[in-house]
Amino acid sequence: MYRKFYILLLTSLLIAFLPSCKKSAVSKTLIITGQDDSHNWEASSSLLKQILDETDLFSSEIIITPEKGGDMQTFTPDFSKYDLIVMNYCGEEWTDETNAGFEEYVRNGGGVVIFHSASIAFPDWKEYNEMTGLGGWNERNEKDGPYVYYTRNELVVDTTSGIAGSHGEQHEFEIRTRISDHPVTKDIPVRWMHGSDELYQQLRGPAKNMQVLATAFADTAFGGTGRHEPVLIAVNYYKGRIFHTTLGHAGDKNSPAMHCAGFIVTLQRGAEWAVTGNVTQKVPADFPTAASAVLRTDLKEMTLTEAFENIGSYDTEKSTKYFTFLRDQIRKAEGDEKILVKLEKKMVDVLKDPDATNEAKKLILRELSWMGSDYCMPVIKSLESDPELVDDVEFALNRLQK
Amino acid sequence: MAKKTSRRVFIRRSAAAAAGVFILPEIIPASAIGMGGKRAPGERIVMGAIGTGSQGMANMRDFISLNEAVQFVAVCDVDTRHLEVAKRTVDTANKNNDCRTYGDFREFLEKENLDAVSIALPDHWHGIIYTEAANKKLHVYGEKPICRTIKDGQAIVAAVKKNNIIWQTGSWQRSQAHFRRGAELVINGRAGKITYIEVGLPDGGRGIGTPPVMEVPPELNWEMWLGPAPKVPYRGVSHWDWRWILDYSGGQLTDWAGHHVDIANWGAGLEHTGPVEISGKGVYPPEGIYDVPVEYDFMCRYANGIEMRVANASSLKHGMGTTWYGDKGWIHTDRGNILTASDPKILEEVIGEEEIHLYKSENHWQNFVDSVRSGTQAIAPIEPAYRAISVGLLGEIAMTTGQTIYWDPEKEEIIDNPRASRLLNRPYRKPWTQPNF
Repeated sequence: MYRKFYILLLTSLLIAFLPSCKKSAVSKTLIITGQDDSHNWEASSSLLKQILDETDLFSSEIIITPEKGGDMQTFTPDFSKYDLIVMNYCGEEWTDETNAGFEEYVRNGGGVVIFHSASIAFPDWKEYNEMTGLGGWNERNEKDGPYVYYTRNELVVDTTSGIAGSHGEQHEFEIRTRISDHPVTKDIPVRWMHGSDELYQQLRGPAKNMQVLATAFADTAFGGTGRHEPVLIAVNYYKGRIFHTTLGHAGDKNSPAMHCAGFIVTLQRGAEWAVTGNVTQKVPADFPTAASAVLRTDLKEMTLTEAFENIGSYDTEKSTKYFTFLRDQIRKAEGDEKILVKLEKKMVDVLKDPDATNEAKKLILRELSWMGSDYCMPVIKSLESDPELVDDVEFALNRLQK
Repeated sequence: MAKKTSRRVFIRRSAAAAAGVFILPEIIPASAIGMGGKRAPGERIVMGAIGTGSQGMANMRDFISLNEAVQFVAVCDVDTRHLEVAKRTVDTANKNNDCRTYGDFREFLEKENLDAVSIALPDHWHGIIYTEAANKKLHVYGEKPICRTIKDGQAIVAAVKKNNIIWQTGSWQRSQAHFRRGAELVINGRAGKITYIEVGLPDGGRGIGTPPVMEVPPELNWEMWLGPAPKVPYRGVSHWDWRWILDYSGGQLTDWAGHHVDIANWGAGLEHTGPVEISGKGVYPPEGIYDVPVEYDFMCRYANGIEMRVANASSLKHGMGTTWYGDKGWIHTDRGNILTASDPKILEEVIGEEEIHLYKSENHWQNFVDSVRSGTQAIAPIEPAYRAISVGLLGEIAMTTGQTIYWDPEKEEIIDNPRASRLLNRPYRKPWTQPNF
């Protein structure tokens, strides 16, 4: 009887876990690039690959189109082999056959990411423009569709005639999430600062089946339109999903735009959504806020191990990020005893470490004062005799003993 | 001196009357009649100010502008530059050079013989100084939020009640006609039965990273500024930017809960209770010394089923202000004389004689003066202020723990969550001790 029940339970658990297993399967990804004099496409493609593959959700390869004036007949990727195509290309037209293959891929549900200057590509390819929703330059104008932007809080579809596509000088700017219940933008701050970038403006296009997920104010002080211009766009095209980010200009070096944690995370989330229609990735602790932009030198999300390797040598003036990461982990535990105890043990290790800075210990004591258990008490008490820490020890004990 | 003493006695006795002590009408002296009118100097309420930064000075000027209703005689601040400006302002108003200055509130409270005090300090100082002023039987005009923690709030409420003083919270929106009108329409059911309230408070702004440790400027007593808060080196955050650091404040959320949550509670009849369930999320800056949430969004459920969502304005349809939703429509109110409704006809409704008429005040500072003179409750008494900030503070706890918090608004305790319960309190650094109640 019981055995039967357990088998049933196991089977149902297996079934319950199946869909999530499927979701976490690695998506084969093709990054298409080449032929772009205005952008460092070699660098940006390599960064795109690292950013996507780092999630373990994607396995990317880069394909470079023939050079300018080269033989496009030789460019015949088999799109159907991939789950995601990332467009980092704004060069010469492909052949009709290649275009048809791409259209078929998207129509059948293939995922696409349109990255930065890819919205400039293919002004005359109608289906491509339907996928991007909005585009610019290359003699686009009112014939290609309306301008789409936000005034303060209203979405505007503006059919007045005029050029399509421009940008002011590069600068840090604030991004405003406009749709917060979309899988890509769920749990992302409403306002966040983006690392210095080109802000595309005056884009126009068919804008069909399109959602403007986020905008950025194009400040006239930097040559902007004074409008809130779309920067993150989601488009549905038949069964396919397209995530379009106008962000990420890659210059000669550094590319703060592509190292911005906000750019990285929205790209990773947008790519996952394009493939599956869902986003399983959590918004990381270092997602920028309205307070300031956050750049990731190595593109990677911090790990708990990395945080604790560095918290002991904590120096407020250098960076607060290891500690804010720890606080984020505590919040994300949502009161889960096991996770909190695991964190507490690591925190106590820092308190025990004779090489750890007092600054680090003070901050750890402050957190333990409310989330600590009996486990941390002896170590906290052992610090009582340290004149540098006595106030902080008292603070912690005062709370813990009540 | 004798005259002053007798007036003080009058004021005290009147305060007792407010608490239900019987008092003969004929002992009300002429000085209490014609409230708000110009008065002889000897009849003015004698006041002092603790905290004379931007908000303290704004309040002082509002008091001074009241047709000689009050006379400031002493000021106290930990920054001598603030003190100089405050003394100059007082002396100009009094046409003399007599305003006394103090750098330590204890000496101020010990030496001065006042009727009332206006207090505007960083939140971490409210627990000690509000209770000590109340224990000195001074009537208090105190800035919101009235406390940094729930424990401090409980002590302050108890001290105000025990000493039977007149208390006015600096939540001056209550004294603006359109806020009162909105709340009065709501409490009389003009939006129907209220089921849901949205409260929009400001977004957090740009950070300042981590400024370097600096030499404390000679005019500032940094140790006294910190008081019961943890000892940290000076990084230039004493005069505005303290608002973005958890040791001293909960950020825009706790700064503004005392305004728009207060108005929400006033209209919905929640002034004397609190939510029973609180859950939500905050967004915190990953880098820099600012550690308050720059975005916040949490839901409070009350025992009567009303839900109140408190969030930074950019996350809400109506943005800043209070919006009450009932089964007949919604009413929204905000600063800038904003009062709108789902149907404009709601706003034309007349409130009948038999219906609820909310306390009416046309000037927040005059109302305090009038209340001190008459011994009757002011428009923004202590408990509603405590209940308003409790919403913000419980939201802070829900966001800090990442958990749904269950709160008993009668016992004023968090239910079955020892970790979250510890956050009801921020221990004080020696030599300061937390006020008891």
